[in-house]
Amino acid sequence: MASDEPCLIASKSAVRGQISGKQDLVVEGRVEGRIGLESHLTIEESGSVEADMDVSQVTVRGEARGDMVAARSAVLHATARVAGKIRAPEIVIEDGAKFSGTIEMEVELPAGIKAGGA
Amino acid sequence: MAKEKDTKPMANTVIGSTLVIDGEITGEESLTILGTVKGKIAVAQNLVVEAGATVEADVEAQTVTVSGRLTGNVVARERLELKPESKMVGDAKSPRIVIADGAGFKGNVDMDV
Repeated sequence: MASDEPCLIASKSAVRGQISGKQDLVVEGRVEGRIGLESHLTIEESGSVEADMDVSQVTVRGEARGDMVAARSAVLHATARVAGKIRAPEIVIEDGAKFSGTIEMEVELPAGIKAGGA
Repeated sequence: MAKEKDTKPMANTVIGSTLVIDGEITGEESLTILGTVKGKIAVAQNLVVEAGATVEADVEAQTVTVSGRLTGNVVARERLELKPESKMVGDAKSPRIVIADGAGFKGNVDMDV
């Protein structure tokens, strides 16, 4: 079997616990716990993730709750509903996406504005 | 319908070879494991542990097909098959159990007779 077969948590399946690896993962079902990937995590419209995520890239079309850290980018599509914290150098929130929480990008602040201030 | 074979229709859960799951997997679809799973597995349909995969878990499924390594107790409601080169340690409970030539197995067998 090819090792690059796409990894999928199907829509009526659930994983509770810790997932780690180097392979792209698509979640159409439910994940609770922790996800640590050196790759791309996609949460599809039917997917629901309640986890702290530490990934290279994350794409959300479904539901997510928790702290999200993406080394490269985080994209919330129009159908996404996300609550928590997102940290990534590149964050996209599409029109229609719902998000509540904190966003942290590496932003060069203009001189005179203190970092971390409200 | 192709139900006897390792059915691979779309939308089955697949745990890839570099993935490690520590916890519990449940589902109404079939589950194919190429990576590592520790904990507990309960699926309504078929579980396939591919060659190279490692499962350390108690398992419950309709059919269980093992080509890799499985440590834990298995309940297969319909059928358990240990392919050549597979290794299983644990108790097996299923009405039909097939152990292929070359498979390694240690544990109790309960065919409910």
